[in-house]
Amino acid sequence: MASSSPATATAHADAHPAHLQHHFVSSDQQFDAAKMGMWLFLVTEVLLFAGMFVAYTVYRVWHPEVFVAGATLLNPWLGGLNTVVLLASSFTVALSIHFIQKGNQKALLINIALTMAAAFVFLVVKYFEYTHKFHLGIFPGENYAYADVSVPYIQQFFSIYFVMTGIHGVHVLIGIGLFIWLAIRAAKGHFTSEWYTPVELVGLYWHIVDIIWIFLFPLLYLI
Amino acid sequence: MEHAEGHGHHITALRTLLFTFLALVALTVVTVITAQIDLGAMNVPLALTIAIGKATLVVAFFMALKYDNKVNFLVLTVGLIMVVVFVVFTLFDTAFRGDIDNVDERTIDQIERIEAAAKG
Repeated sequence: MASSSPATATAHADAHPAHLQHHFVSSDQQFDAAKMGMWLFLVTEVLLFAGMFVAYTVYRVWHPEVFVAGATLLNPWLGGLNTVVLLASSFTVALSIHFIQKGNQKALLINIALTMAAAFVFLVVKYFEYTHKFHLGIFPGENYAYADVSVPYIQQFFSIYFVMTGIHGVHVLIGIGLFIWLAIRAAKGHFTSEWYTPVELVGLYWHIVDIIWIFLFPLLYLI
Repeated sequence: MEHAEGHGHHITALRTLLFTFLALVALTVVTVITAQIDLGAMNVPLALTIAIGKATLVVAFFMALKYDNKVNFLVLTVGLIMVVVFVVFTLFDTAFRGDIDNVDERTIDQIERIEAAAKG
């Protein structure tokens, strides 16, 4: 009682965990509410990308040959490497949640660090892909200036490519920021098997970023 | 009741997570290989089917929706129905423009401008 804040100390009986906020009945209710809120946010993320997938579909139906030609200009090995890197990072995020559920704070920190490293590798590969495109004169929209492949409307493919992978890349960058935040808090020992909600929610976010790439990779690089 | 551990949170087993990861990598290899083979019109549906399978694995096991509160499944399902509506209803327009006899691909504005120019 003495160590808890005045607001909770007066209103609640003992055995009140420090993380449990005033307006929730129990830790489980608080956790479920947070998680459902995250799922609602993830649906808005899915719909954000859906707008771009609709653009992809409409232009592909109009000019399918453009997308076949565009895919030949992308390197499937680099795209495939990045797919495996992101899948591995989804795995380590799932592991970090598994270990903190068992109260293993050290394994939590290691897996957050591994995830962060994988996200960083993804962006480095993407950097090399982008600079190689710019070197060839492949820019989005009207700025396309690669003479070797000049299928009519090829600009549409690269506008879609740069916007979709670019916004996905911003999500990866935000993910790295979130993992840095989680790593600092994990190192301070803030997370326990009783309370690890931020790890769970960032994990869900990261899996959605992975799923978006699972669709982008074949649609842009392969077919 | 369905939870074995103290506080009601499902802990996904390590081997489940590992098998999910290995299956995802295997499906990535399959999608790369099948994309190199010319299957005609089947290439796109096949690649999409594999991608949907991979996404389902991530959602069910990594995001643990299989073991989660059913309301989260409902949230995701409603969202995905909206995505389907978004894609299909947009295609009802864009994929069939000019297919109906009395519909002109040009806008009314464009037609009127051309007619006005013809009149002088």
